[in-house]
Amino acid sequence: MSIILGIETSCDETAAAVIIDGQRIASNVVASQIDLHAQYGGVYPEVASRAHVEAIDPVVRQALTDAALSIDRLDAIAVTRGPGLVGSLLVGISYAKGLALMSGKPLLGINHLEGHIYSLWLTQPLQEANFPVVVLIVSGGHTELVLMRGHGVYERLGGTLDDAAGEAFDKVGRVLGLPFPGGPNIQRTAEAGQADAYQFPRAKRDQSFDFSFSGLKTAVLREVTRTSPKGPHGEKGVTLKEGVSVADAAASFQAALVDALVEKTVRAAQTYDANEILLAGGVSANALLRTQIKNTAQLPVRYPPLNLCTDNAAMIAAAAHHRFAAGQRDSIAFDVLPTWPLSRLSHAPLDA
Amino acid sequence: MPILKAGELDLISHSAEQTHRLGQRLGALLRPGDVICLSGELAAGKTVFSSGIGDGWGAAEPVVSPTYTLVHQHRREADDAMLYHLDCYRLIGPDDADSIEFDDLIDSSAVLVIEWPERIEARLPRERLWIHLRTVDATHRALSFVPNGMRYFGLVEQFRTRVLGD
Repeated sequence: MSIILGIETSCDETAAAVIIDGQRIASNVVASQIDLHAQYGGVYPEVASRAHVEAIDPVVRQALTDAALSIDRLDAIAVTRGPGLVGSLLVGISYAKGLALMSGKPLLGINHLEGHIYSLWLTQPLQEANFPVVVLIVSGGHTELVLMRGHGVYERLGGTLDDAAGEAFDKVGRVLGLPFPGGPNIQRTAEAGQADAYQFPRAKRDQSFDFSFSGLKTAVLREVTRTSPKGPHGEKGVTLKEGVSVADAAASFQAALVDALVEKTVRAAQTYDANEILLAGGVSANALLRTQIKNTAQLPVRYPPLNLCTDNAAMIAAAAHHRFAAGQRDSIAFDVLPTWPLSRLSHAPLDA
Repeated sequence: MPILKAGELDLISHSAEQTHRLGQRLGALLRPGDVICLSGELAAGKTVFSSGIGDGWGAAEPVVSPTYTLVHQHRREADDAMLYHLDCYRLIGPDDADSIEFDDLIDSSAVLVIEWPERIEARLPRERLWIHLRTVDATHRALSFVPNGMRYFGLVEQFRTRVLGD
């Protein structure tokens, strides 16, 4: 049995959670900064770091209180080491190191993407994965297709060549004049629109498992905006064309993006004889993506509950469970890794 | 009366693929400590050009949009050289450059490729290559190269030769 405190501050959520055996949620606290950043239309790093500093101590205390546990009952402390915003990551890492020093508990630095994958192990009742599985991690910063043959064994099949899916949602949302974050707001707006109103480009038409969303972004911009040259370099003043239906544009954009995600993910699962498809990350909350991939794949498709799609610390503690059981203990002096692809994780199988 | 100032270069790219290839040619010429600034509006091709730079330079992993984490670190297998790819869109003013430890990046002798450099212009080194990308139409992009400092005049000259011939 393991009782692990997870701490996550890689972007704009300050989060702490206590997880038992990598699957049972004893507590899960998330302090969101969305309202703080919405006024700027994106996550601003200085604002994020300051907000983390203010929130981290009360959030961790709340997680321990909710779990009705004191620090000495913990087996380990796990914290997101990367990837993410360096200033934000450092707040969580510094706090976790202080806590580990003070309590003498082992410390583990966890990869945020591996965390997203392990959000799938937090559903009750627990469903162990039927390996090999294909995992699509889609969020504001990442779009990765991963083949997972066992715990801790990842093979990257492909990923975005330019923008992440969530980033495309945010950027197109901005163009359409919708509030931040783009994902939920485009989904809501799209409900009143026609998905075939615009024929936006689909997947990269090749046999790779890579994605490209910059062409889609460019196409949306071209269809719905008018350019009014200004400035010394002729920068565009971007305004919506008259008569453009924001709902139609949102629905058509969302349909094109989801088509691309579904096509590549399902083909990857067929190619590698996967037994299941797992979705994770903030964009896996998208209703159209969930429905369409279930209707298309001839395989079981699983995704986390809505509150575990976006960033949280429960998933960090869940990922740490397998590494802790396999003997991983990190030095108190470990560095932050703002860039840390799954491909640079150790690929020793974790027996848990 | 010359149309361009001495050392400057204007090009039209006919497609995203060509923008990528132009980036590759430039990337292959970069040395430790070079600073490349890429300005231009949304969808002007900054990330496509950066991705080409990464390929030409020899990045171990594909260079993709750094928008989310603001800074991507890339390593070259051959000599362990580093390239940092920055998106400064969400840095409101020059002081925000501290939140990504910008001075450490400048001092690191890595190659810096900076999107939205105008956001932190006051913090940029005076000597740099500034490239402005502009959307002409659906597929065409105009690229203007403006070097500052001897190193970058030389770099643009080398690049011109590689792309346009002698």
